[in-house]
Amino acid sequence: MKSEKPWIPYAFLLPNALIFGIFVGLPAVYGIVYSFTEWNGISSATFIGLENFKTILTDSEFWTMLFRTLIYVIAVVPLTVVCALGLAWLLTRGLKGSNVFRAIFFLPVMISFIVAGLIWNWILQTDTGLINYILSLVDIEPVGWLSNPVFANISVILVTVWNRVGFFMLIFIAGLLNISPTLYEAAEIDGAGTWKKFRNITIPMLRPITLLVIILCFIEFFKTFALVVSLTGGGPINATRYYVQYTYDTAFGMGEFGLGSALSLILFVIMGIVTLIQWKVSNGGRV
Amino acid sequence: MKKPAAMIAMGVLSGLVAAGCSGGEETGQDSSSGDTVTLDVIWFSDGNEGEVFKEITEDYKSENPNVEFNIIETPYDDIYNRIRTRVSGGDAPDLARISNPGAVSDALLRLDGEFGNKEEFYNQLKPSARPWAEVNGEFVAVPTDLTAHGLYYNKEYFEQAGVEVPDSTEDIWNWSEFADAIEKVKENSDARMGLAYDMSPSRYSTLIYQNGGRIFSEDGQSLKINESESVEALEYFNELHEREIIPQSIWLGGENPNSLFRSGQAAAHLSGNWNLQNYSDNADFEWGVTYMPQKAQRSSVAGGKQMVTFKDSEHKEEAVKFMKYFISKEQNKKYVSESLFISPRSDIENIEYAAETEAMNIFNNELSVTPEATAEDWSNFEYMPDVEQKITENVQRTLDGAMTPQEAMDSIVESSDVGSE
Amino acid sequence: MKHTKQQNWILYIPLILIAIFMLFPVLWVVSSSLKPSGELFSWPPSIIPQNFTLNNYISAFQESNFTRYLFNTVFVTVAATVLTLVINTMAGYALAKYRFRGSAVILVFFLSTLMIPLEALMIPMFIVLKNLGLYNTLWGIIIPPAATPTGVFLVRQYLMSVPDEMIEAAKIDGASDWKIFIRLILPLAKPILATLTIFSIMWRWQDYIWPLIAISDSNLYTLELALANFVGQYSVDWGPLLAMAVLTMVPLIIIFLIFQRFFIRGIMMTGMKD
Repeated sequence: MKSEKPWIPYAFLLPNALIFGIFVGLPAVYGIVYSFTEWNGISSATFIGLENFKTILTDSEFWTMLFRTLIYVIAVVPLTVVCALGLAWLLTRGLKGSNVFRAIFFLPVMISFIVAGLIWNWILQTDTGLINYILSLVDIEPVGWLSNPVFANISVILVTVWNRVGFFMLIFIAGLLNISPTLYEAAEIDGAGTWKKFRNITIPMLRPITLLVIILCFIEFFKTFALVVSLTGGGPINATRYYVQYTYDTAFGMGEFGLGSALSLILFVIMGIVTLIQWKVSNGGRV
Repeated sequence: MKKPAAMIAMGVLSGLVAAGCSGGEETGQDSSSGDTVTLDVIWFSDGNEGEVFKEITEDYKSENPNVEFNIIETPYDDIYNRIRTRVSGGDAPDLARISNPGAVSDALLRLDGEFGNKEEFYNQLKPSARPWAEVNGEFVAVPTDLTAHGLYYNKEYFEQAGVEVPDSTEDIWNWSEFADAIEKVKENSDARMGLAYDMSPSRYSTLIYQNGGRIFSEDGQSLKINESESVEALEYFNELHEREIIPQSIWLGGENPNSLFRSGQAAAHLSGNWNLQNYSDNADFEWGVTYMPQKAQRSSVAGGKQMVTFKDSEHKEEAVKFMKYFISKEQNKKYVSESLFISPRSDIENIEYAAETEAMNIFNNELSVTPEATAEDWSNFEYMPDVEQKITENVQRTLDGAMTPQEAMDSIVESSDVGSE
Repeated sequence: MKHTKQQNWILYIPLILIAIFMLFPVLWVVSSSLKPSGELFSWPPSIIPQNFTLNNYISAFQESNFTRYLFNTVFVTVAATVLTLVINTMAGYALAKYRFRGSAVILVFFLSTLMIPLEALMIPMFIVLKNLGLYNTLWGIIIPPAATPTGVFLVRQYLMSVPDEMIEAAKIDGASDWKIFIRLILPLAKPILATLTIFSIMWRWQDYIWPLIAISDSNLYTLELALANFVGQYSVDWGPLLAMAVLTMVPLIIIFLIFQRFFIRGIMMTGMKD
């Protein structure tokens, strides 16, 4: 749609853009500048050109960590999106008690990351955890949920989905409610069954919302930090130490703020590229 | 780098201007009373030390009615973020409680002049406290309390198994006696586990020192952690895990050793005096503290907390004045005895603690036999943050079976840049 | 109709199984918060408190200035949510329904900043707050995070499905852009506004990083800041921490239940077609 007065859309955007630009955009520019410096967060920074990027990209530990983060993201994003959509679909069937279920599914979202991580760390303990205790009642050997690197990754993925699926479910519910019932009625007249209606109406009509959820999931989980740190601390032996924790340890743990900023900038570029691809492929989620 | 520096300078300047114009307005103080000074204190607590500190500030206030305190409780993990942010943003706090002066040393006020003669002040400190006062030869931090590692044990389980703990420094266990004793308790009592051993490079290093090794060379410019004493320490640590004396889930699974002991599941806990208060309040069984085992020698590891002020603090003078008060013999005695800490002062001995005096005496004793190498290593602020992380990783790799002890220790040396600068 | 009923019955099986998975850690928190500290880590774990106590709640109240923090948190949440709704809906609408130079670039710019971990920018964020005089004020926690890209993106994607013809028709009737936004778009956007309201309340209620940077006066602490203070260097003060976690959650549940009714209309609509 075009407005006769070309300034109108900008006026609508202005308040948001202003606040955003000042409080996040401006600091982000600082961040970019810092990534070309050596800086300990206190004394003044020294310009060192591309040295930080060279250090990072030639460090094998960085590549291992990036690969580990990618695996996590690739596992957790589709799982979350599918679960969120499935739950949203189930809850918009007009079933009795949907309200209660929706509230229950949303409960974990209301628990802060720190508490969620601490609680699951406790539940998943090998020797003292609730889950292994329940398993022991049916004579199953204790599982190293957090002490075995493979299980630790599985635990982190499951806890992430547990904690976040309700959030994305709610977005899908709003999207599903926005689909005009007349479309379904017309399809029913043509004799379409549940699956056919889902595939031919729900999925295409939900495209903008699905794109939204995929991009938001992708960004959020690539940046996963507080939950995992309080769940596993990045262990065992770094098996769950993902990108932002690595960045954080570099900046705050070792006082290398220049390197930390450079790591953030690299993350920004990686995610920017992936988001742009998703955007192009889906044509901005236009129906 | 001109731009950020200039922006920061601008921030600092405007901060100073604002502060100059409005006195203590930022903290909501009434500036009309003229001389009132509000000291911003960044603080964190493990036990009740925050309350004790508050009482001390109240006493100080009654003697110095022009001083107010704004105590900013901060989670330990965010202490240095908060300090860095405020210092860089031109709003340095007046005082802060920290555990590692090296992390923010650039911002700290040099105390040499402020505390009179530096040597005179150092002479009041125990040898194990001194390294925590200095970064790169500069006196920047006032040690306020010391911590020592030690061994907690569950009296009921030791009695059930008929195992006796050493009751004097004469009959201290050696390493193999220690392992056997814990193993025997584990097998002959209701304990589900033997020894809960904190997952911390500092706690781990106790074994290195007991075996006569050290992490850095004396000048701090090279690593000695792959020498035979340290490798043997890791072999022993690995053996304790293989014999299931220490449960794997702590070092590999992040299990909380504190809760293992406190809930009566582990027969013993190798940790530090900071747990005393917690156990004295929360453990509902008979427990005690005894001497840690020895190999080549006895050793604990000294840590501690310090109080600092900053170059850019608004009320430096008042802050220094308060620090002198806080570390004075009388106030420090009150502080450590009520919070169950070890005093950094050499002239405070045989204190009557608010509780658990007997246990505190053992921690004090552990600290008194600890070689100076431990404090030298752990106050190597330049390299320790990196090496510390590598110790944890490589010890874990050994326990996981991915490396031999020698390989693990070599890998620390190979991957670090100690001494290269 | 019979066929549908049977199908519905089957749908309850996954719902109940998932509900158990979602619910049991939450119940575990609640149950643990009612145990005395000696029982917290007992083995075997007691699912239901053996020695029921409210002490953790009492000490959570006593150790921290709970009512003060609650007031701060409510004030911040309400103010920030109103601001978020207004500016995000406006921006989302502009990006969804107007074609103008740079619209895609602006959206991608908004989104891309989501990709920067804020933790890395604490120092410049602090400098900005301080120079604008927002440091150590509640407005310092309210204004900066209100312009959330997620909210803008959410509203944009939702409003894209509003047919252009509806807006054109209103224009022909002589309505101004602003009037169309208020009279036509806002009512249509109700479900997404309800969603955004819930999200915004949650974000602000649980926000940690902005309060950490912006507030240094303990009278201005929010609940989440106070909660984090139970974690020390060596120890976690479990009992009060759990009690505090429950206490911070309860208002959120109530708010969620209130806003749920915005979904009911839609559910009846979709319910009809099966």
